[in-house]
Amino acid sequence: MDLRPTAADEAFRAEVRDWLGEHLRGEFAALGGAGGPGREHEGFETRLAWERELGEGGWIGLDLPPEHGGRGAGLDRQVIWAEEYARAEAPARVNHMGEHLLAPTISHFGTDAQRERFLPPILRGEELWCQGYSEPGAGSDLAAVRTRARLDGDTWRIDGQKVWTSLAMHADWCFAVVRSEPDSERHRGLSYLLVPMKQPGIEIRPIVQITGTSEFSEVFFEDATTDAANVVGEPGDGWKVAMGTLGFERGVATLAQQIGFGRELDAVIASARETGATRRPEIAARLVDAWIELRTMRYQALRSLSDGQPVSASMSKLLWGPWHRRLGELAIDVRGADATVIEAPYTLDGDQALFLYTRADTIYAGSDEIQRNIISERMLGLPRG
Amino acid sequence: MDFSFDEDQRELRAVVADFLANHATSQQVRAAAEGDGFAAEQWGRLTGEMELTGLAVAPERGGAGASFVEVGIAIEEIGRTLLPVPYLSTVIAAAVLSHICSDDVAGPLLERIAGGAAAAVSLPGVLPSFPAIYGGKARKDGDGVVVDGEVAVVDGATAEILVLATRCGEEPVLVAVEAGASGVAVEPLATLDQTRRQAAVRLESAPATVLAAGEDAVARARDLLSVGRAVESVGAAARCLDETVAYLKERVQFGRPIGSFQALKHRCADLATELEAARSTAYYATWVVDGAPEELPVVAPLAEAVAGAALLHVAAEAIQMHGGIGFTWEHDAHMYLKRAKSNELLAGGYRGLRTLVGERARIL
Repeated sequence: MDLRPTAADEAFRAEVRDWLGEHLRGEFAALGGAGGPGREHEGFETRLAWERELGEGGWIGLDLPPEHGGRGAGLDRQVIWAEEYARAEAPARVNHMGEHLLAPTISHFGTDAQRERFLPPILRGEELWCQGYSEPGAGSDLAAVRTRARLDGDTWRIDGQKVWTSLAMHADWCFAVVRSEPDSERHRGLSYLLVPMKQPGIEIRPIVQITGTSEFSEVFFEDATTDAANVVGEPGDGWKVAMGTLGFERGVATLAQQIGFGRELDAVIASARETGATRRPEIAARLVDAWIELRTMRYQALRSLSDGQPVSASMSKLLWGPWHRRLGELAIDVRGADATVIEAPYTLDGDQALFLYTRADTIYAGSDEIQRNIISERMLGLPRG
Repeated sequence: MDFSFDEDQRELRAVVADFLANHATSQQVRAAAEGDGFAAEQWGRLTGEMELTGLAVAPERGGAGASFVEVGIAIEEIGRTLLPVPYLSTVIAAAVLSHICSDDVAGPLLERIAGGAAAAVSLPGVLPSFPAIYGGKARKDGDGVVVDGEVAVVDGATAEILVLATRCGEEPVLVAVEAGASGVAVEPLATLDQTRRQAAVRLESAPATVLAAGEDAVARARDLLSVGRAVESVGAAARCLDETVAYLKERVQFGRPIGSFQALKHRCADLATELEAARSTAYYATWVVDGAPEELPVVAPLAEAVAGAALLHVAAEAIQMHGGIGFTWEHDAHMYLKRAKSNELLAGGYRGLRTLVGERARIL
């Protein structure tokens, strides 16, 4: 157990800092960390240009093996990159789905031809991806997917509907879990397809959220098509591939996310000082608790990176989701009645948006209740109900 | 950066756990707790052949020269069982002596601790309004110092060496008093938590050695105790949750194991999550003692508040989820609740500790 960084890690950190210092300038720096959950509509075109800048610098897909275009960076390096990125207040990334979910999936489960076709445009920031998992009847219960795909000669034909798709209106491609075997049930008969988004068979309808803004959409497939080769893994084996994708999303992002959380908490504390709310014992206690719990989450994240237990991803989610939601409550509680007035027609300021948007944190990517099922069944071994 | 235990540390844990599996069964723990509150035979072996009290004592003072991480492993494993031995008290006294006091006064005491002498510490709680364990007065007497007063000391009845925080005039000081010296009367007290006894120590011109002076020294000693109690709480909470989960798999009502009911599963998931976060925090704190001592003033009370609260939640839920059997003397659950609550009260309350974290980290 030694939590000090090694000299090599420190050198890498300096390299990251230097690069960000040189390139995060002008319009990119002016964005000041814009975008991200609850703010995806902010500065999109500039963020897309920034993604390409990152691609040129070789900073996309650090974790991929060199033969697939990455740097083969271990967890320590990935964490350093993510931490420095957050510290520099660089803009939120526009292709999280492509870089962190689809690229490792193709790297791991894809064919050579798929790697050659799909990885380079992700690594250059040229093709954006969205995720087609949830459906109106398949939320927590993903295996209830009903969107159908059938092979027609050299083409998959797809009909159905996906929902809660982030950034669908900007995406070039979608990775989707679809039912490719008629009359199959649950986890069997699903396939993991790569579907181009810009085609007549796809219609996107933005969902207006409780914040009044839209980041998520409904995506309708009506005789949408994709090439027969665009299936990852064997047809019918989509569940295994989809679960693999979920497994790639753990650990590293948490530590960087905590830097953003720390910045939000600092802002709430500053606001509380300004309004005098820190003199209220109840508010003071909640602010201190938020600070302590954020520290605790950091230690937990550091330990799960070393231990690498899969279930710790569920615990991490169960810690940060409710924490962030409580922070949203604190953000407007320290403001008091002032926070009840918004800008017409319905534009929220940062605190109000945080209060409302964080309701999603305990629902998406596996609701708190699903995480509790996973922890109690897979880690504690309690029987299924 | 590495947050995992190395092979030697895992081996140490296995050896301690193996010993306790055979010598700290529920029956053995209860026999000692309901007797004089001291498992003397086990203590003899833990300090003798296993040399656990000398783990972090310097080799030139007869110890193994390991770090507080190793000490934390032993505290945690013993904490799982609630075995009534003054291990936590003794190794915290040793840590205070090694980290805060100069070697010329501390060295001879450390040699005795490494050789198996039990020690105890009496430090003020977080809140100055709880003076019960911050008592006594030291004064100069000829060339030396003597102490007068009465203090309740955890593990006081088994200790040879008492490390006490007191005041000399207005100045806080840490002193060592020999339990067997003239002017020292030790009277065992019955305690809510029978697995960890206290003693009323009456001091009348008792000869003392000044170990360190100043508020900072007392605060640092308290921080070391906080880290010890944090990692102990993790051990106790883990055992308590393991037992509860095992019971939920066995106990059948309405024709199915009650562990299949989501009302209980989800609470267990929350407890496991709170415990793992507390474990990470407590392990981090044990590393900080030697690895990053500048972080100790914030991390120590933070770890105790987080891990202590986790134990309290787990112990309280353990009784509830066991139902009627959990309310009986016969079941072990109450022993964990009593340890949990006693720890909190002795610490001065976890809300107080959290406030201290806020002040030290200048959060507000």
